[in-house]
Amino acid sequence: MIAMHLHQLIAAERARQRPRLLVAGIAAAAVSASSVLLLGLSGWFITASALAGAAGIASAQAFNYLLPSAGIRLLAILRTGSRYGERLVGHDAALRALARIRPALFSSLAAAPPAVALGLSTGEASARLVGDVNAVEARFVGLSARWGMVASLVSGVALLHLAGPAPALATGAITAAYLLLASRLATGLQAPGREAQRAAGRLKETYATLASAAPELRAYGLESWAAGRIDVRSADLLAAQNDVTAGAGLFDLAGAAATGLAAVGALALSADQPLPMAALAALGAAMTVDGTAAFARGLERRGASWEAEARLDAVLGAAAPPLPARPAMAGAPVVRLAEPAALLRPGTVVAITGPSGCGKTTLLETLLSLRPVAPGRISLGGVDLAALPPGAARRCFAHAPQDAALLAGTVRDNLRLACPAATEAALWEALRDAAMAERVAALPAGLDAWIGENGARLSGGERRRLVLARAYLRPTPWLLLDEPTEGLDAATEERVLNGLRHQLARTGQGALIVTHRLAPLALCGSIIRMGEVGGRDGQQGPIAWTEQEFA
Amino acid sequence: MSHPLPDKQRKARRQAWLKEAARAGGRWNGSATGLLCLDGVAAIGFAAALAGGLASIGQGVGAAWPWLALGVVAATGRGVFGSLSLRAGGEAARRAKAALRRRVVVASLGIPAGERPPVGSLMTSAVDEVEALDGYIARFLPARRAAALVPFLILGATAIASPFSAGILAFTLIPFVLALALAGGAAADEARRQFDALSRLSALFADRVRGLPTILAFQAEAEETARLAGAADELRRRTVGVLRVAFLSSGALEFFAALSVALVAVYAGFNLLGLLPFPAPEALDLPRAFFVLALAPEFYAPMRRLAAAYHDKQAAETAADRLEALEAMARTPAGGARPIPRAPAIRFQGVAVRYPGEDRAAVEGFGLDMAPGEVVALLGPSGSGKTSLLNLLLGLAPLTEGEVLVDGLALSEAGSFAPSIAWMGQAPLIVPGSIAANVALSRQDASAGEIARAVEQAGLDAVLRARPGGLDAVLDERGGGLSGGERRRIALARALLKDAPILLLDEPTAHLDAAAEAALIPVIREGAKGRTTIIATHSERLAALADRVVRLG
Repeated sequence: MIAMHLHQLIAAERARQRPRLLVAGIAAAAVSASSVLLLGLSGWFITASALAGAAGIASAQAFNYLLPSAGIRLLAILRTGSRYGERLVGHDAALRALARIRPALFSSLAAAPPAVALGLSTGEASARLVGDVNAVEARFVGLSARWGMVASLVSGVALLHLAGPAPALATGAITAAYLLLASRLATGLQAPGREAQRAAGRLKETYATLASAAPELRAYGLESWAAGRIDVRSADLLAAQNDVTAGAGLFDLAGAAATGLAAVGALALSADQPLPMAALAALGAAMTVDGTAAFARGLERRGASWEAEARLDAVLGAAAPPLPARPAMAGAPVVRLAEPAALLRPGTVVAITGPSGCGKTTLLETLLSLRPVAPGRISLGGVDLAALPPGAARRCFAHAPQDAALLAGTVRDNLRLACPAATEAALWEALRDAAMAERVAALPAGLDAWIGENGARLSGGERRRLVLARAYLRPTPWLLLDEPTEGLDAATEERVLNGLRHQLARTGQGALIVTHRLAPLALCGSIIRMGEVGGRDGQQGPIAWTEQEFA
Repeated sequence: MSHPLPDKQRKARRQAWLKEAARAGGRWNGSATGLLCLDGVAAIGFAAALAGGLASIGQGVGAAWPWLALGVVAATGRGVFGSLSLRAGGEAARRAKAALRRRVVVASLGIPAGERPPVGSLMTSAVDEVEALDGYIARFLPARRAAALVPFLILGATAIASPFSAGILAFTLIPFVLALALAGGAAADEARRQFDALSRLSALFADRVRGLPTILAFQAEAEETARLAGAADELRRRTVGVLRVAFLSSGALEFFAALSVALVAVYAGFNLLGLLPFPAPEALDLPRAFFVLALAPEFYAPMRRLAAAYHDKQAAETAADRLEALEAMARTPAGGARPIPRAPAIRFQGVAVRYPGEDRAAVEGFGLDMAPGEVVALLGPSGSGKTSLLNLLLGLAPLTEGEVLVDGLALSEAGSFAPSIAWMGQAPLIVPGSIAANVALSRQDASAGEIARAVEQAGLDAVLRARPGGLDAVLDERGGGLSGGERRRIALARALLKDAPILLLDEPTAHLDAAAEAALIPVIREGAKGRTTIIATHSERLAALADRVVRLG
């Protein structure tokens, strides 16, 4: 998908949902207007009744009570019905928009430069993205509030006009001043809001640093000291939040004061009017301000919502223009590494070894175009990887990642990721070759068993084998296996390697196997040893291969 | 609803947990509620001011001004009480969150290695899930307590002016409560399911975003986009039906709120006209009638406020379940054996370490006899259990089988030998502060002279000479500007400062280039003198300094 700006996406959805948003807006307007009219009319009715009653029985009999009392009941029902309609239709519109915005966002993310995807694989980054998307949705639900605000203002001013221009103008002015003040307050709240967010970031950073140093904390008895340091950061966050709360309290204060001023002002300004009109003015004015409160409170979240959109825009805006399409590679490509010079012919099985941190995993991720690569470093089928569209490179590789990343879903969902068209028999064969078939068969729901978020219901070794089965199902010329037998006991490792041998013999695939363990080396025709080459003292270099040897 | 009992028990436990968490808010909880109740009192004052003002406005603004002034004061009072209640609620939440976070942090640091969720997930619990209690304590709880009191205040004030109108309000309350009792349970269930479904969709989205590298590697972007679209669309179709019911309870609230206003208005009007179809129960006048009318909307206002805070409750309950589970995983660390005065003999006998939920034991049948002061290098690839053996002595890994004896003291009894251990790893802890303070983490009462000696032993002084500020140079959170070798030397100085009889080194030279490693090796050899030392490493060069090399894996 082509890079798309979020506001375009939102605008498109708003256009699409226009009929529903219109209905929700009209319903919101009906709620506000009927609230204003209900209280205004009730005040007028009671006062007029009192006057008519006091004037004697004849006057009371002559008073037309049917129309106002029927109006009051009608307005009560109208208000209830409209509120129900507003909520239902408003949520429907938001859910419909959501059903399109999320996939569109996801698709844009998938098209973004590879660094974006890898950056989001930490829980923190993805959680923030999801929070931002939720903020955008909340905005959709709140869209009808402005209709209510406008309706409240219009119906209030029109109703109060019956009591003369002065109370109408005063109420309009007080409401406008209130909204202006609310907008100012909302702007003023943005800085404390951001500060609170930064404080939360610092708290997380401190927590992560200390929680990662468990052995040192234990050896030096520093656990409660660490908790104390985190506590200081936590107190900073809470203090920053206090400023936000104090600011939010001012919204309440402004709203209540405006309501009181409007009611009292309208009453005072209609002193020369008949009493029923004064009553109408006082209650109508109070409800006019009240009807705009939902919109004013929405302003409080405006800053956060803008920031969320700006962040999402930054992610989407980073989406790369699609590279010019090239003809698909015919057959299995040769992989050539420039540094060190290594030529990997199709069908060969190569081990990659070396101490942790020397860039073995990075090499596999680079081949998959999950990381950027400098021109001239790696070529695939004679074409520089840097010039290939990511799709063309990915088509050549089936990956079993080191972190054994799985998707939340069933066993079948995860296997089908590699080959949506795979038959039942093919799924079981892949599971057998990964020494995972018995385990899956023993699950109560078999292939349809839910494995939890990132395979949480499986053990580490089971996740690894499932990831292996998934890679086997993808019909590609090369397998990229990152530590395929780590964490497996010797017997299971033996079964997994036999399965791998079977898979390789059956498909004629080539394989790059990153491994720390010795057993997988038996399958490999050659070994690439990656060393530690750093620049200065202790600095890790970029991807570096110092030495390779062919057995 | 197929297992009502466990569900009920779970709910009760969750409620107790939340109540306990909220208790740390102390008297601020009560203040938030009390201020909301004062808001109700001010509402009564405002209604009285309008009624009085209306009754006297006929004689001109001059006659009505005390009432008008009362109106402004009462309305402003509502605002003040409302915003103070928000602040008091915020303060209660602040205290409760601070106490809860402290508890969660201590618990999360006490979860044994191997059972520990990833740091990112712990961080989410300690920060975001604790934050989820904010709205619950700051808004929902005060609103719930006020909703039990304020309507009766309003009812009482109404009854003083017009007992029959109070009767009308109370009368609308009965069907409202009945409607809530009959449909409310179902509606709350529906609302809960709706909330769950939304969070599931949100979780699916989060999962696919996190799993994006995998999806890209398998070129499944299109399928997964379609799946997200399908799930969102299905949620929408199901949810609209659910919402129809879920909004019924808020619809009922609206309906009875509007109905109470309409009934009071119509009754008061007919009473004033003398046209009631039944004998008038009371004689109303305009001020009273108007007072009652102006007060009628306030009767349902507390319940509407409560309904608006319902999401806060659901968010808090979700967080409560997760935090409770996390706390259940924590174990108070064993105090550990008393410090041992001099380098001990260490004997591993048939030791196995097996982490819960793992297929394979991290270490199995490991035996080793170390003489006092001996230096042993454990050499082997990653995953061969070197780190687990070191963690075992600290009580950070479970001793599943066998025994470790340190000078005859059994690990299974002591739980940990942490008080006698100095540790150095490949990613030393660096905290903001001076280098001296970073070194002194292992012994915070150390004198400047002791620190200087440890720094010298670790070979850190030579490095520091080139650095402005020397030992007093201040490091930031990330230890910016320190090279890998400098970090290790800080960690080594820290270990030497503790002057413990057991020294454990976990990959002390990993990620260092050959020159940096070569420079560090003699310093480590010096530091290990007079201590029983275990070095876990994959470096043959480092292992060569040991008295004995044990190969694993």
